[in-house]
Amino acid sequence: MLPQRVIEQLIDIVGESRLLFEADDLQRFGVDRTTLWQAAPCAVVLPGTVEEVQSIVRLANQCNLAIVPSGGRTGLSGGAVAKDGELVVALDRINQVIDFNPMDRSVTVGAGMITGHLQQFAEEQGLFYPVDFAASGSSQIGGNIATNAGGIKVVKYGMTRNWVAGLKVVNGAGDIIELNKGLAKNNTGYDLRHLFIGSEGTLGLICEATIQLARAPLESSVMVMGVENFAEIVDVLTCFSRDLDLSAFEFFSQQALDKVISHRGHTEPFKTETAFYALLEFEHSSPDILDKAMALFEHCVDVGWVVDGVISQSQSQAKNLWKLREDISGTLWQWQPYKNDISVRISRMADFLEDVDQLVMEQYPDFEVIWYGHIGDGNLHLNILKPEAFSVDQFHSKCVNVSEEIGQLLAKYEGSVSAEHGVGLLKKDYLHYSRSAVEMDMMRSIKRAFDPNYIMNPGKLFD
Amino acid sequence: MKILVAVKRVVDYNVKVRPKSDGSDVDLANVKMSINPFCEIAVEEAVRLAEKGLATEVVAVSVGPKQAQEQLRTALALGADRAVLVETDESLEPLAIAKCLKAVCDAESPDIILMGKQAIDGDNNQTGQMLSALLDCSQATFASELTLDGGKAVVIREVDGGLQTLELSLPAIVTSDLRLNEPRYASLPNIMKAKRKSLDVKTPDDLGVSIAPRVTLLGVELPAERQAGIKVDDVAMLVDKLKNEAKVIS
Repeated sequence: MLPQRVIEQLIDIVGESRLLFEADDLQRFGVDRTTLWQAAPCAVVLPGTVEEVQSIVRLANQCNLAIVPSGGRTGLSGGAVAKDGELVVALDRINQVIDFNPMDRSVTVGAGMITGHLQQFAEEQGLFYPVDFAASGSSQIGGNIATNAGGIKVVKYGMTRNWVAGLKVVNGAGDIIELNKGLAKNNTGYDLRHLFIGSEGTLGLICEATIQLARAPLESSVMVMGVENFAEIVDVLTCFSRDLDLSAFEFFSQQALDKVISHRGHTEPFKTETAFYALLEFEHSSPDILDKAMALFEHCVDVGWVVDGVISQSQSQAKNLWKLREDISGTLWQWQPYKNDISVRISRMADFLEDVDQLVMEQYPDFEVIWYGHIGDGNLHLNILKPEAFSVDQFHSKCVNVSEEIGQLLAKYEGSVSAEHGVGLLKKDYLHYSRSAVEMDMMRSIKRAFDPNYIMNPGKLFD
Repeated sequence: MKILVAVKRVVDYNVKVRPKSDGSDVDLANVKMSINPFCEIAVEEAVRLAEKGLATEVVAVSVGPKQAQEQLRTALALGADRAVLVETDESLEPLAIAKCLKAVCDAESPDIILMGKQAIDGDNNQTGQMLSALLDCSQATFASELTLDGGKAVVIREVDGGLQTLELSLPAIVTSDLRLNEPRYASLPNIMKAKRKSLDVKTPDDLGVSIAPRVTLLGVELPAERQAGIKVDDVAMLVDKLKNEAKVIS
């Protein structure tokens, strides 16, 4: 519990109504979308300015109080979990558009702005914020930056990192620092902005961000194709991406599609059942692009990779086809899935997937495994569903073993144990499969430089 | 049995339409155009009847600009056998479209004419009814179910307060409501096959139809923006505002 003296100081900084102790609030602000840990923060504080954030961090340093930064808490790795009496600092109130500059095509916003609102703001200006994923209606831009969020348009637009032109942060020592100031070119030594992107709240609090915006996308079409063998999805990807600028290339398995259709009432794309489905999207950048796409499809059918396929004829159809992919994650929650978010280079994906499939089938025959992911960027989401006969604890202790073995495979294939969800609490034991001991030491030194008293999100990323 | 199905090229359902800057019309420059959703349902119904062996031929017809060929190709990919485009760049009123369709019907002699109940651009809900009058044939609008029964069509239609069942002698016009069916996606193999299906292009002149407009569009403007609501502190304040500001209670 917080000492009365600290409570009074926090109230002095933010006002009484912005310091929350109610059980409901502690529960709500104390966890993300993971279900493994119990929320147990000491309090939740809602600062309204960067200066208030600074005062809170300085106070935390004085009384050795750990801080968990909090955005939309849509994370899947426990990065925003406060389970050990930490103070949750929620950026919800710092959510305004601070400055929009059409000439730079950039906007400076508070870190608490909801991603969907940023997308909407960009659209109102005739521009586009291209990072998009299923949780964009609740996630906040600050959290997106802290986890370098990816999503469904990475093939064309890259991760959140590509769109951050500047940051205003409060580091763990309580300094307000402006990083990069929105510049396009700035070769003046280490780019500290990029250290904050993907830092998962371990270096400081991201308070404001200057976001580069893209031109509005052209009209686009969505194709869904049925493929029998996973290796051939990679062939289809290679074939299409050689000739077309794809804005997305996703895949999902028949089991994933079955579950989405039966639980969400969507219509199947076509009657032919195949083991895997590839979903791709491309913009109409030239008048002959549809003919090109048709020719590529014909080629894929001729060589036997693709069995059947559909293409959207309207924006409603495009949206409905996207739902087949985007609703998978939400549909699977009821099976309390153990989520793996892994990546390997595209060229190694087919062999890797075969190895993983074999491993799970041989050693864990009771488990149902659902595959889907952003295959265009080598990112696979492997979800293991909890069998009804297993208790949650039983299930997770078994999954930990699976993760060890997948980790070893990833090390062999030089892949990543966390492609886009981040490390948080969930993946830190496996980080060594993707990062060498020297790298881990360097990361710890970097944390010390920004956060000397180790108050920022301790226990996340590494111990 | 031959089915004629009408399809219209309209602004995509998901596009936020805006007036042109001079307010003379809706701005259609670089706007995504699609098949009218109700027409898509009509096409699906026609194709299902053909798949059940109840229809021998499905002919898709559109009246509109050259680009309406795209929507006809979609209809062909969904399963229509051939298509006819009555090509014109004129702005079209429901009566002009109905007259063009009448001329096509005279040449094709369909047993059933399936159409959308309305197009989402003008929201007129007139063409089907006008065509019925011009052809002097039976009609059932807002259909949510269609069955063919020994030379008759039985249509369940959605009306205020319930469902009405009609039996129609053929030829008949049936206009589709939203719940008639859920259209399938256009399959890529069928889109390829559709390229080889026949698409005849005619003009209103070829059909001897005058499409001269009878209505002049004076202007298009956005609806007035709604004011944001406010939160009241308590019941007393609510009552006070209803009484003195909104003046809806006394």
